[in-house]
Amino acid sequence: MLTYIDEIRAASARLLQEGAVEMVVGFRQGSQPMMNEPCLIRRPEDVDTLVWDSHCGINLTNYLTNRKEKIAVIAKGCDARNIVTHIIENKIEREQLYILGVPCQGMVDKRQIAMRVAGEITEVGESDTEIRVQTTRGEIQTFAKAEVLQQNCTLCTHRNPVLYDALIAEAVSEQTVDRYTDVAAIEAMTIGERQQYFQDLFAPCIRCYACRNACPLCYCPTCFVDEAQPQWVGKGQDAVDVMTFHFLRAYHCAGRCTDCGACERACPVGINMRVLTKKLEKDCVNNFGWEAGLSPDVRPALDTFNLDDPDKLIK
Amino acid sequence: MLLSNLLEYMGIERNRLHMSWVSSAEATKFIDVVTEVTEAVRALGPNKYFIKDQAKVA
Amino acid sequence: MSDWEPKIVAFLCNWCSYGAADLAGVSRLQYPPNIRVIRIPCTGRMSPKFALSALRNGADGVWVSG
Repeated sequence: MLTYIDEIRAASARLLQEGAVEMVVGFRQGSQPMMNEPCLIRRPEDVDTLVWDSHCGINLTNYLTNRKEKIAVIAKGCDARNIVTHIIENKIEREQLYILGVPCQGMVDKRQIAMRVAGEITEVGESDTEIRVQTTRGEIQTFAKAEVLQQNCTLCTHRNPVLYDALIAEAVSEQTVDRYTDVAAIEAMTIGERQQYFQDLFAPCIRCYACRNACPLCYCPTCFVDEAQPQWVGKGQDAVDVMTFHFLRAYHCAGRCTDCGACERACPVGINMRVLTKKLEKDCVNNFGWEAGLSPDVRPALDTFNLDDPDKLIK
Repeated sequence: MLLSNLLEYMGIERNRLHMSWVSSAEATKFIDVVTEVTEAVRALGPNKYFIKDQAKVA
Repeated sequence: MSDWEPKIVAFLCNWCSYGAADLAGVSRLQYPPNIRVIRIPCTGRMSPKFALSALRNGADGVWVSG
Protein backbone atom coordinates (compact mmCIF):
# COMPACT_ATOMS: atom_id res chain seq x y z
CA MET A 1 0.00 0.00 0.00
CA LEU A 2 2.85 2.39 0.74
CA THR A 3 4.19 1.82 -2.74
CA TYR A 4 0.94 2.93 -4.36
CA ILE A 5 2.07 6.52 -4.33
CA ASP A 6 4.77 6.04 -6.97
CA GLU A 7 2.24 4.61 -9.34
CA ILE A 8 -0.28 7.36 -8.48
CA ARG A 9 2.26 10.08 -9.15
CA ALA A 10 3.46 8.47 -12.38
CA ALA A 11 -0.05 8.02 -13.70
CA SER A 12 -1.06 11.55 -12.70
CA ALA A 13 1.99 13.09 -14.33
CA ARG A 14 1.40 11.09 -17.49
CA LEU A 15 -2.26 12.10 -17.72
CA LEU A 16 -1.46 15.77 -17.17
CA GLN A 17 1.41 15.73 -19.64
CA GLU A 18 -0.64 14.05 -22.32
CA GLY A 19 -3.39 16.57 -21.74
CA ALA A 20 -5.85 13.76 -21.16
CA VAL A 21 -7.08 15.56 -18.07
CA GLU A 22 -6.92 19.14 -16.86
CA MET A 23 -6.51 18.31 -13.23
CA VAL A 24 -5.95 15.52 -10.78
CA VAL A 25 -7.88 15.30 -7.53
CA GLY A 26 -5.82 13.66 -4.82
CA PHE A 27 -4.38 14.06 -1.36
CA ARG A 28 -1.45 16.03 -0.08
CA GLN A 29 0.19 16.20 3.31
CA GLY A 30 -2.01 18.11 5.73
CA SER A 31 -0.83 20.78 8.12
CA GLN A 32 -1.21 18.33 11.00
CA PRO A 33 -0.20 14.69 11.25
CA MET A 34 -2.91 12.19 10.26
CA MET A 35 -4.86 14.92 8.49
CA ASN A 36 -4.18 14.58 4.78
CA GLU A 37 -6.03 17.17 2.82
CA PRO A 38 -7.54 17.01 -0.64
CA CYS A 39 -5.72 18.90 -3.37
CA LEU A 40 -6.23 19.72 -7.01
CA ILE A 41 -3.11 19.29 -9.15
CA ARG A 42 -3.05 21.07 -12.49
CA ARG A 43 0.62 20.95 -13.51
CA PRO A 44 2.65 17.76 -14.06
CA GLU A 45 5.55 19.16 -12.04
CA ASP A 46 3.33 19.37 -8.96
CA VAL A 47 2.49 15.69 -8.74
CA ASP A 48 5.15 15.12 -6.11
CA THR A 49 2.94 16.85 -3.57
CA LEU A 50 0.50 13.95 -3.85
CA VAL A 51 0.60 11.43 -1.01
CA TRP A 52 -1.11 8.16 -0.27
CA ASP A 53 -1.17 6.52 3.16
CA SER A 54 -3.66 5.44 5.80
CA HIS A 55 -4.97 8.94 6.44
CA CYS A 56 -6.74 9.55 3.14
CA GLY A 57 -10.24 8.96 4.44
CA ILE A 58 -11.86 12.05 2.98
CA ASN A 59 -14.22 11.28 0.12
CA LEU A 60 -12.87 12.96 -3.01
CA THR A 61 -16.17 12.70 -4.84
CA ASN A 62 -17.07 15.97 -3.12
CA TYR A 63 -14.68 17.77 -5.42
CA LEU A 64 -16.29 16.51 -8.62
CA THR A 65 -19.81 17.89 -8.22
CA ASN A 66 -20.87 19.94 -11.25
CA ARG A 67 -17.30 20.19 -12.60
CA LYS A 68 -17.00 20.88 -16.30
CA GLU A 69 -13.38 19.97 -17.06
CA LYS A 70 -11.75 16.61 -17.55
CA ILE A 71 -10.57 15.28 -14.24
CA ALA A 72 -8.51 12.39 -13.00
CA VAL A 73 -9.59 11.30 -9.56
CA ILE A 74 -7.97 8.93 -7.14
CA ALA A 75 -10.68 6.64 -5.88
CA LYS A 76 -10.88 4.11 -3.10
CA GLY A 77 -13.71 1.60 -3.07
CA CYS A 78 -16.14 3.94 -1.36
CA ASP A 79 -15.08 6.92 -3.48
CA ALA A 80 -15.69 4.90 -6.63
CA ARG A 81 -19.19 3.99 -5.45
CA ASN A 82 -19.93 7.64 -4.75
CA ILE A 83 -18.61 8.56 -8.18
CA VAL A 84 -21.06 6.07 -9.65
CA THR A 85 -23.84 7.74 -7.66
CA HIS A 86 -22.69 11.11 -8.99
CA ILE A 87 -22.83 9.81 -12.55
CA ILE A 88 -26.33 8.39 -11.99
CA GLU A 89 -27.47 11.71 -10.55
CA ASN A 90 -25.95 13.69 -13.45
CA LYS A 91 -23.53 15.56 -11.26
CA ILE A 92 -20.68 14.66 -13.57
CA GLU A 93 -20.30 12.82 -16.87
CA ARG A 94 -18.49 9.52 -17.07
CA GLU A 95 -16.55 10.85 -20.07
CA GLN A 96 -15.10 13.67 -17.98
CA LEU A 97 -13.48 11.29 -15.58
CA TYR A 98 -10.35 9.26 -15.53
CA ILE A 99 -10.65 7.17 -12.39
CA LEU A 100 -7.44 5.95 -10.82
CA GLY A 101 -8.75 3.10 -8.73
CA VAL A 102 -6.95 2.33 -5.50
CA PRO A 103 -7.64 -0.94 -3.70
CA CYS A 104 -8.05 0.05 -0.09
CA GLN A 105 -7.43 -1.81 3.14
CA GLY A 106 -9.07 0.73 5.36
CA MET A 107 -8.24 4.15 6.66
CA VAL A 108 -7.04 4.88 10.14
CA ASP A 109 -9.30 6.57 12.68
CA LYS A 110 -7.22 9.40 14.08
CA ARG A 111 -9.54 9.77 17.06
CA GLN A 112 -8.84 6.27 18.28
CA ILE A 113 -5.12 6.86 18.15
CA ALA A 114 -5.38 10.27 19.78
CA MET A 115 -7.34 8.68 22.61
CA ARG A 116 -4.70 6.03 23.21
CA VAL A 117 -1.67 8.28 23.38
CA ALA A 118 -0.76 10.86 25.99
CA GLY A 119 0.13 14.29 24.66
CA GLU A 120 -0.20 15.64 21.18
CA ILE A 121 0.92 13.69 18.15
CA THR A 122 3.75 15.39 16.30
CA GLU A 123 4.79 12.80 13.79
CA VAL A 124 3.34 9.72 12.28
CA GLY A 125 4.75 6.96 10.15
CA GLU A 126 3.57 3.58 9.03
CA SER A 127 4.50 0.23 7.65
CA ASP A 128 2.15 -2.16 5.90
CA THR A 129 0.60 -3.34 9.12
CA GLU A 130 1.54 -0.79 11.76
CA ILE A 131 1.10 2.86 12.60
CA ARG A 132 3.87 4.60 14.53
CA VAL A 133 3.22 7.90 16.26
CA GLN A 134 5.49 10.27 18.12
CA THR A 135 4.06 12.64 20.70
CA THR A 136 5.06 15.97 22.17
CA ARG A 137 6.42 14.04 25.15
CA GLY A 138 8.89 12.31 22.90
CA GLU A 139 7.31 8.90 23.29
CA ILE A 140 6.94 6.61 20.33
CA GLN A 141 4.03 4.23 20.20
CA THR A 142 3.02 1.73 17.59
CA PHE A 143 -0.42 0.34 16.85
CA ALA A 144 -1.55 -2.48 14.63
CA LYS A 145 -3.45 -0.88 11.78
CA ALA A 146 -6.24 -3.40 12.01
CA GLU A 147 -7.03 -2.19 15.53
CA VAL A 148 -7.33 1.50 14.75
CA LEU A 149 -9.26 1.48 11.49
CA GLN A 150 -12.36 3.58 11.03
CA GLN A 151 -15.36 1.51 12.00
CA ASN A 152 -16.88 1.71 8.54
CA CYS A 153 -13.61 0.41 7.07
CA THR A 154 -13.63 -2.64 9.29
CA LEU A 155 -17.13 -3.37 7.96
CA CYS A 156 -16.35 -2.54 4.34
CA THR A 157 -17.39 -5.08 1.73
CA HIS A 158 -16.31 -3.09 -1.32
CA ARG A 159 -12.67 -2.27 -0.80
CA ASN A 160 -11.87 -2.45 -4.49
CA PRO A 161 -13.17 0.30 -6.74
CA VAL A 162 -16.26 -0.77 -8.68
CA LEU A 163 -15.54 1.56 -11.59
CA TYR A 164 -12.11 2.63 -12.78
CA ASP A 165 -10.00 3.36 -15.83
CA ALA A 166 -6.79 2.14 -14.30
CA LEU A 167 -6.14 0.18 -11.14
CA ILE A 168 -3.09 1.39 -9.25
CA ALA A 169 -2.30 -1.97 -7.72
CA GLU A 170 -3.64 -5.48 -7.58
CA ALA A 171 -7.10 -5.86 -6.12
CA VAL A 172 -7.24 -6.75 -2.45
CA SER A 173 -9.41 -9.51 -1.09
CA GLU A 174 -12.90 -8.45 0.01
CA GLN A 175 -14.09 -9.06 3.53
CA THR A 176 -17.21 -10.94 4.45
CA VAL A 177 -18.60 -9.36 7.59
CA ASP A 178 -21.97 -8.80 9.11
CA ARG A 179 -22.35 -5.11 8.45
CA TYR A 180 -25.37 -4.48 10.60
CA THR A 181 -24.69 -5.72 14.11
CA ASP A 182 -24.95 -2.23 15.60
CA VAL A 183 -28.17 -1.52 13.72
CA ALA A 184 -29.64 -4.81 14.89
CA ALA A 185 -28.69 -3.96 18.48
CA ILE A 186 -30.64 -0.71 18.29
CA GLU A 187 -33.58 -2.40 16.60
CA ALA A 188 -33.74 -4.84 19.48
CA MET A 189 -34.24 -2.04 22.01
CA THR A 190 -37.65 -0.98 23.24
CA ILE A 191 -39.07 2.25 21.92
CA GLY A 192 -38.18 4.10 25.13
CA GLU A 193 -34.60 2.85 25.04
CA ARG A 194 -34.28 3.95 21.46
CA GLN A 195 -35.56 7.43 22.28
CA GLN A 196 -33.00 7.66 25.03
CA TYR A 197 -30.25 6.22 22.83
CA PHE A 198 -30.74 8.83 20.14
CA GLN A 199 -31.15 11.65 22.60
CA ASP A 200 -27.81 10.72 24.14
CA LEU A 201 -26.21 10.14 20.76
CA PHE A 202 -27.05 13.59 19.44
CA ALA A 203 -26.74 15.51 22.70
CA PRO A 204 -23.17 16.70 21.96
CA CYS A 205 -24.04 17.89 18.43
CA ILE A 206 -23.11 21.53 17.91
CA ARG A 207 -24.84 21.85 14.53
CA CYS A 208 -21.64 22.76 12.68
CA TYR A 209 -22.83 20.80 9.62
CA ALA A 210 -19.36 19.33 9.08
CA CYS A 211 -21.08 15.99 8.39
CA ARG A 212 -23.11 17.63 5.67
CA ASN A 213 -20.13 19.37 4.13
CA ALA A 214 -18.00 16.24 4.13
CA CYS A 215 -20.77 14.12 2.63
CA PRO A 216 -20.49 13.59 -1.13
CA LEU A 217 -24.27 13.19 -1.33
CA CYS A 218 -25.05 16.56 0.26
CA TYR A 219 -24.66 18.78 -2.76
CA CYS A 220 -28.02 20.60 -2.71
CA PRO A 221 -27.53 24.30 -3.52
CA THR A 222 -29.69 25.15 -0.54
CA CYS A 223 -29.89 22.60 2.22
CA PHE A 224 -33.23 22.22 3.98
CA VAL A 225 -31.65 23.41 7.23
CA ASP A 226 -30.76 26.72 5.61
CA GLU A 227 -34.22 27.34 4.23
CA ALA A 228 -36.03 30.03 6.15
CA GLN A 229 -39.38 30.08 4.43
CA PRO A 230 -40.73 27.74 5.54
CA GLN A 231 -38.25 26.96 8.23
CA TRP A 232 -38.26 23.20 8.46
CA VAL A 233 -35.94 22.99 11.38
CA GLY A 234 -34.83 25.44 14.04
CA LYS A 235 -31.24 26.56 14.04
CA GLY A 236 -30.38 26.16 17.69
CA GLN A 237 -29.28 23.22 19.74
CA ASP A 238 -32.75 22.23 20.78
CA ALA A 239 -32.80 18.44 21.05
CA VAL A 240 -35.73 18.04 18.68
CA ASP A 241 -34.16 20.35 16.11
CA VAL A 242 -30.90 18.46 16.25
CA MET A 243 -32.72 15.20 15.86
CA THR A 244 -34.80 16.51 12.97
CA PHE A 245 -31.65 17.65 11.22
CA HIS A 246 -29.91 14.31 11.59
CA PHE A 247 -33.03 12.40 10.70
CA LEU A 248 -33.69 14.32 7.51
CA ARG A 249 -30.06 14.44 6.48
CA ALA A 250 -29.85 10.68 6.83
CA TYR A 251 -33.14 10.23 5.03
CA HIS A 252 -31.91 12.32 2.09
CA CYS A 253 -29.12 9.77 1.76
CA ALA A 254 -31.50 6.82 1.64
CA GLY A 255 -30.49 4.42 -1.10
CA ARG A 256 -27.48 6.59 -1.91
CA CYS A 257 -25.18 6.30 1.08
CA THR A 258 -22.16 4.09 0.57
CA ASP A 259 -21.07 4.26 4.19
CA CYS A 260 -17.81 5.98 3.29
CA GLY A 261 -17.66 7.33 6.84
CA ALA A 262 -16.94 10.92 5.80
CA CYS A 263 -19.65 12.28 8.11
CA GLU A 264 -18.40 10.56 11.21
CA ARG A 265 -14.80 11.34 10.34
CA ALA A 266 -15.59 15.03 9.95
CA CYS A 267 -17.60 15.33 13.15
CA PRO A 268 -15.68 17.42 15.69
CA VAL A 269 -17.49 15.80 18.62
CA GLY A 270 -17.35 12.25 17.32
CA ILE A 271 -21.03 11.47 16.86
CA ASN A 272 -21.63 8.20 15.07
CA MET A 273 -24.50 9.41 12.90
CA ARG A 274 -23.82 6.46 10.60
CA VAL A 275 -26.22 4.34 12.64
CA LEU A 276 -29.01 6.22 10.84
CA THR A 277 -27.67 5.87 7.31
CA LYS A 278 -26.77 2.26 7.96
CA LYS A 279 -30.31 1.51 9.05
CA LEU A 280 -31.56 2.91 5.73
CA GLU A 281 -28.89 0.96 3.90
CA LYS A 282 -29.95 -2.22 5.64
CA ASP A 283 -33.61 -1.63 4.78
CA CYS A 284 -32.68 -0.98 1.16
CA VAL A 285 -30.79 -4.24 0.96
CA ASN A 286 -33.53 -6.22 2.67
CA ASN A 287 -36.52 -4.72 0.89
CA PHE A 288 -35.23 -3.81 -2.53
CA GLY A 289 -32.00 -5.80 -2.82
CA TRP A 290 -30.28 -2.52 -3.51
CA GLU A 291 -26.77 -1.45 -2.68
CA ALA A 292 -25.80 2.06 -3.70
CA GLY A 293 -23.19 2.86 -6.31
CA LEU A 294 -22.36 -0.50 -7.78
CA SER A 295 -23.12 0.23 -11.42
CA PRO A 296 -23.88 3.43 -13.37
CA ASP A 297 -26.24 1.49 -15.65
CA VAL A 298 -28.78 0.43 -13.05
CA ARG A 299 -31.43 2.86 -11.87
CA PRO A 300 -31.59 3.20 -8.08
CA ALA A 301 -34.24 1.32 -6.16
CA LEU A 302 -35.92 4.48 -4.95
CA ASP A 303 -36.61 5.85 -8.42
CA THR A 304 -37.98 2.74 -10.02
CA PHE A 305 -41.25 1.00 -9.36
CA ASN A 306 -41.35 -2.72 -9.16
CA LEU A 307 -44.45 -4.84 -8.72
CA ASP A 308 -42.60 -6.82 -6.09
CA ASP A 309 -41.88 -3.76 -3.95
CA PRO A 310 -43.19 -4.25 -0.42
CA ASP A 311 -46.47 -2.37 0.07
CA LYS A 312 -47.81 -3.68 3.36
CA LEU A 313 -47.60 -0.18 4.73
CA ILE A 314 -50.26 1.23 2.44
CA LYS A 315 -53.84 0.64 3.46
CA MET B 1 -41.59 2.67 3.91
CA LEU B 2 -37.98 3.55 4.64
CA LEU B 3 -39.31 6.68 6.33
CA SER B 4 -41.59 4.86 8.68
CA ASN B 5 -38.87 2.33 9.48
CA LEU B 6 -36.44 5.10 10.30
CA LEU B 7 -39.01 6.94 12.39
CA GLU B 8 -39.58 3.84 14.42
CA TYR B 9 -35.84 3.28 14.66
CA MET B 10 -35.48 6.73 16.15
CA GLY B 11 -38.18 6.12 18.67
CA ILE B 12 -41.35 7.41 17.09
CA GLU B 13 -44.08 4.82 17.25
CA ARG B 14 -44.85 3.28 13.89
CA ASN B 15 -48.57 3.94 14.13
CA ARG B 16 -48.07 7.68 14.17
CA LEU B 17 -47.48 7.68 10.43
CA HIS B 18 -50.10 6.20 8.16
CA MET B 19 -50.28 5.92 4.42
CA SER B 20 -53.24 4.88 2.36
CA TRP B 21 -54.66 4.91 -1.10
CA VAL B 22 -58.25 6.03 -1.50
CA SER B 23 -59.98 6.84 -4.77
CA SER B 24 -62.18 9.93 -4.95
CA ALA B 25 -65.19 7.66 -5.38
CA GLU B 26 -64.49 5.68 -2.21
CA ALA B 27 -66.12 7.82 0.46
CA THR B 28 -66.85 4.77 2.59
CA LYS B 29 -63.28 3.56 2.41
CA PHE B 30 -62.19 7.07 3.34
CA ILE B 31 -64.32 6.94 6.46
CA ASP B 32 -63.03 3.49 7.34
CA VAL B 33 -59.46 4.68 7.06
CA VAL B 34 -60.09 7.86 9.04
CA THR B 35 -61.60 5.79 11.82
CA GLU B 36 -58.78 3.29 11.74
CA VAL B 37 -56.10 5.98 11.80
CA THR B 38 -57.83 7.84 14.60
CA GLU B 39 -58.16 4.72 16.71
CA ALA B 40 -54.55 3.72 16.10
CA VAL B 41 -53.29 7.13 17.19
CA ARG B 42 -55.72 7.29 20.11
CA ALA B 43 -54.31 3.98 21.33
CA LEU B 44 -50.82 5.44 21.32
CA GLY B 45 -51.74 8.46 23.38
CA PRO B 46 -50.31 11.93 22.98
CA ASN B 47 -47.08 12.50 21.10
CA LYS B 48 -44.65 13.82 23.68
CA TYR B 49 -41.28 12.76 22.38
CA PHE B 50 -40.83 14.70 19.21
CA ILE B 51 -42.56 18.01 19.93
CA LYS B 52 -40.49 21.11 19.78
CA ASP B 53 -41.15 23.45 22.68
CA GLN B 54 -42.47 26.67 21.29
CA ALA B 55 -41.78 29.96 22.94
CA LYS B 56 -45.00 30.93 24.65
CA VAL B 57 -46.44 34.07 23.19
CA ALA B 58 -48.49 36.10 25.63
CA MET C 1 -56.50 12.98 30.31
CA SER C 2 -59.78 11.23 29.61
CA ASP C 3 -60.99 14.03 27.38
CA TRP C 4 -57.86 13.92 25.26
CA GLU C 5 -58.52 13.57 21.56
CA PRO C 6 -55.76 12.80 19.09
CA LYS C 7 -54.77 15.47 16.59
CA ILE C 8 -54.01 13.96 13.23
CA VAL C 9 -52.67 15.90 10.30
CA ALA C 10 -53.99 14.41 7.07
CA PHE C 11 -52.17 15.14 3.84
CA LEU C 12 -54.71 14.36 1.15
CA CYS C 13 -54.17 14.26 -2.58
CA ASN C 14 -56.41 16.74 -4.36
CA TRP C 15 -57.62 14.14 -6.87
CA CYS C 16 -58.02 11.08 -4.69
CA SER C 17 -58.60 11.25 -0.97
CA TYR C 18 -59.54 14.91 -0.94
CA GLY C 19 -62.23 14.03 -3.44
CA ALA C 20 -63.25 11.12 -1.23
CA ALA C 21 -63.47 13.44 1.78
CA ASP C 22 -65.60 15.78 -0.25
CA LEU C 23 -67.84 12.94 -1.35
CA ALA C 24 -68.15 11.73 2.24
CA GLY C 25 -69.31 15.20 3.22
CA VAL C 26 -71.76 15.51 0.35
CA SER C 27 -73.14 12.08 1.24
CA ARG C 28 -73.61 13.19 4.87
CA LEU C 29 -71.44 10.35 6.16
CA GLN C 30 -70.13 10.65 9.71
CA TYR C 31 -66.44 10.25 10.51
CA PRO C 32 -64.15 11.10 13.46
CA PRO C 33 -63.40 14.83 13.64
CA ASN C 34 -59.78 14.31 14.69
CA ILE C 35 -58.19 14.91 11.33
CA ARG C 36 -56.92 18.28 10.16
CA VAL C 37 -56.84 18.11 6.40
CA ILE C 38 -54.09 19.64 4.31
CA ARG C 39 -54.76 19.43 0.62
CA ILE C 40 -51.74 18.69 -1.52
CA PRO C 41 -51.83 18.82 -5.32
CA CYS C 42 -50.73 15.21 -5.58
CA THR C 43 -49.22 12.72 -3.18
CA GLY C 44 -46.01 13.31 -5.10
CA ARG C 45 -45.90 16.70 -3.40
CA MET C 46 -45.50 14.95 -0.07
CA SER C 47 -42.12 15.21 1.58
CA PRO C 48 -40.71 13.67 4.74
CA LYS C 49 -40.20 17.24 5.92
CA PHE C 50 -43.99 17.69 6.05
CA ALA C 51 -44.49 14.66 8.23
CA LEU C 52 -41.73 15.67 10.61
CA SER C 53 -42.93 19.28 10.71
CA ALA C 54 -46.37 18.09 11.69
CA LEU C 55 -45.02 15.92 14.49
CA ARG C 56 -42.65 18.62 15.69
CA ASN C 57 -45.48 21.09 15.90
CA GLY C 58 -47.59 18.89 18.08
CA ALA C 59 -49.49 16.51 15.87
CA ASP C 60 -50.14 13.12 17.43
CA GLY C 61 -50.30 11.38 14.10
CA VAL C 62 -49.72 11.95 10.41
CA TRP C 63 -51.76 10.42 7.65
CA VAL C 64 -50.77 10.56 4.03
CA SER C 65 -53.33 9.45 1.52
CA GLY C 66 -53.23 9.29 -2.25
